[in-house]
Amino acid sequence: MIVPRLIAVAAIAAGALGLAGCHKPAPTRQPCPQGKVCMEFGNVGEPVSLSPLKITGTQEDRIVSDMIMGLTQSDPEGKPVPGVATHWETSPDGKTWTFHLRHDVVWSDGVPLTSEDFVYALRRLMDPTEAAEYASLLYVIKNAEAVNSGKLPATALGIAAPDPYTVVYTLEHPAPYLLELAKHQTMLPVPKHVVEKWGDAWSTPEHYVSDGPYKLVSWKLGDHIHLVKNPLFYEADKVCVDEVNYYPTTDTVAAEKRVRSGELDENDTFEANRADFLRKQMPGYVHSHTYLGTDYFVFNQRDPGPLRDRRVRLALAMSIDRDFITGKLDHGIVHPAYTFVPPGMANYIPPPVQLWTTWPLARRQAAARVLLAQAGFGPNHPLHIELKHPTSSAALIIMPSVQADWRGVGVVATLAQDDAQILFQDENYRNFQVAWASWIADYNDAMDYLYLMKSSTGAQNYSDYNNPAYDKLLDAADNEPDAGKRAQDMRQAEQMMLADQAITPFIFRTSLSLVNPNITHWVDNIVDQHRTRYLCRKGVNVQH
Amino acid sequence: MTGAVFAPGSRKAAALMETARGRSLWDDALRRLSRNKAAIASLILLGFMVVAAIIGPHLTHFTYDHIDKVDVWTPPLTAHHLLGTDSLGRDLLARLLAGLGVSLEIGVVATIVSLVIGISWGAVAGYFGGWLDEVMMRFVDILYSLPFTFFVILLMVTFGRNFILMFVAIGFVQWLTMARIVRGQTVSLKQREFIEAARAVGLSGRAIIFRHIVPNLLGPVVIYVTLTIPDVILTESVLSFLGMGVQEPLTSLGTLISNGAQEMELAPWLLIFPSIVMVATLMAFNFIGDGLRDAIDPKER
Repeated sequence: MIVPRLIAVAAIAAGALGLAGCHKPAPTRQPCPQGKVCMEFGNVGEPVSLSPLKITGTQEDRIVSDMIMGLTQSDPEGKPVPGVATHWETSPDGKTWTFHLRHDVVWSDGVPLTSEDFVYALRRLMDPTEAAEYASLLYVIKNAEAVNSGKLPATALGIAAPDPYTVVYTLEHPAPYLLELAKHQTMLPVPKHVVEKWGDAWSTPEHYVSDGPYKLVSWKLGDHIHLVKNPLFYEADKVCVDEVNYYPTTDTVAAEKRVRSGELDENDTFEANRADFLRKQMPGYVHSHTYLGTDYFVFNQRDPGPLRDRRVRLALAMSIDRDFITGKLDHGIVHPAYTFVPPGMANYIPPPVQLWTTWPLARRQAAARVLLAQAGFGPNHPLHIELKHPTSSAALIIMPSVQADWRGVGVVATLAQDDAQILFQDENYRNFQVAWASWIADYNDAMDYLYLMKSSTGAQNYSDYNNPAYDKLLDAADNEPDAGKRAQDMRQAEQMMLADQAITPFIFRTSLSLVNPNITHWVDNIVDQHRTRYLCRKGVNVQH
Repeated sequence: MTGAVFAPGSRKAAALMETARGRSLWDDALRRLSRNKAAIASLILLGFMVVAAIIGPHLTHFTYDHIDKVDVWTPPLTAHHLLGTDSLGRDLLARLLAGLGVSLEIGVVATIVSLVIGISWGAVAGYFGGWLDEVMMRFVDILYSLPFTFFVILLMVTFGRNFILMFVAIGFVQWLTMARIVRGQTVSLKQREFIEAARAVGLSGRAIIFRHIVPNLLGPVVIYVTLTIPDVILTESVLSFLGMGVQEPLTSLGTLISNGAQEMELAPWLLIFPSIVMVATLMAFNFIGDGLRDAIDPKER
């Protein structure tokens, strides 16, 4: 009689251990048709949508960019090279760009791609009823802001299609980064004939058509998205990989094991503090590279409260021990950030750091206490704040350390973790006090970072920073033809914004990925974009 | 701690019966229990853990949220850290004691919540029977069919994130089974002669339920309680794992284990020690439950 009881107890104990790991039994690798090359990729999250209009994250960008080809595209090094446009001209004032399209591009249902598809996509993006979150990225296009806010009709947009193979963009001001933007999801074409027929439902697997290397076959929510090579793609003969599956891998440690077992070919992140261990365990798999990404704290200044006080924000910024976070918690694989625009950004030199950043931590903390006291907070009346952050292992390591640093200067911070999607919502609707935000560059230019704090940006200006002098400097940069002077204006603007601590940057990211060494043509690059069309597997011959 | 849950009831029950007989059912049960070595050992172990969870945190060199900026991920027995430190440089011993306290607290409080609601609900439904029984038990069935995670998310959206809320949420779900067990027992008890007698003397329904039925239910209830506490501790760890339970830097056994499992190959001590404590706690409760069942209802043996 005692034996079954012991087994029951053991089962409970085993349950306790199993539950803690929460690892589902690993499914085996998806079957691959005979003679085909298949890739299984781990993706940081489940896409919200596959419509270029609705997506905002890297997990969506990498799938959509495998399917839809824009005027330009990323080359293996992440630089813009001709896509469906063969060549282009710029007017002397830099405000008019004329793109000439290839004549042999068809959508995957056989309908030819024309310049109308670009015009239609942009009008849809700027349609106020669509409320596309990323519309503000293209405010550089003439009248875009007015159209997006409903003040002008869609026809007023600075885009024209004089013939089926020519697209002309008219800009508000010169934009040297337009070729970078042209490969971003916001400027991608959409199949007008399909969208007009199906509306928003066009981006479901039943109706999706694409003009790029791959087409959508199926999407099992929470499981995987299946793409196969598009035989009608104009360079289909140069594409090596026949089928691709994208799996959302939110549990990064579990994903790491799936890569090690060969179930996945790649996962686009791993825990920074495991880098040394992984280099030993999986030699050849670990890739890390300078990346255009910054993690920062935003302060809700729409609500009246202590966070409107510059001294309070400055005290919070000063007391964070960034060297401990980057050195000890993340083992030196990421870098401490005191400025916002990441190093390595093209045509840009970051502004000089503020004086306090050079002080040792003890001195910074003392200064922070003084600032808080001036703002009316002290041991008898401590500042209480709530810090929202995503439920990620990285955040769960870093946030308690920030909380402890703040406690060190007498600030009582409670941590509130939420699913990343919910956190974005809260940030958009300003339902937070202090929150963790991350910004990954959409294009390789400092303006992509600095426009976030512009008062006209709207939802993505999470801190609601509103400084006319800052806006003026950015406008001046936009209208400055000289690259050096333009950079100088932006630099001055960043310095001004940091002096106000509109936001508090704390980490410069590093792109981290685990890639099976038998994948060829994988090139680490600063934008961490690796289009499947260039990849291949060792031993497979394909002309490139 | 378990002692505290049932002792008042049992003493009362014993007192009631002593007037009639010299040696009561409960005396017998206690005697049989004291002969069960596993149960007694478990009681002692549990008592020790309760004391450790209460006093321990005041004796450790570090607090559970102190971050040692030099010793990150140090193995046990180095640099003043008896059980080593976690990936943030926090002392594992201090966190383990804090986590044990939180887990036991949740286990006991949520069980008491379920006990109070479950016994009252089940006894009333079972004793009065008829349409009242139907309505009350169908209500239980409806709540049973509500997915637990969904229920917790609903609570969180309505009342915000709150430590107390977790006790309520777990207790609110656990009472359902308790109500069913109690109802079943009550239905069979109310046919017995002593209830007939009580009714004949003219006692009110309320008095009969709480003076005669509930004390006689305690046997199965006590056993179920010892099974509920570990269940609650497990449920809490599920919630914490989903980010709906204890918030950092506070911790619980479940949270410690789920974090430890992530760093298993790098820092095995972060998984081993919390697991040992968790397993020991769960086993202790199960042995006590077993012992109590044998002691109270020897026929089952």
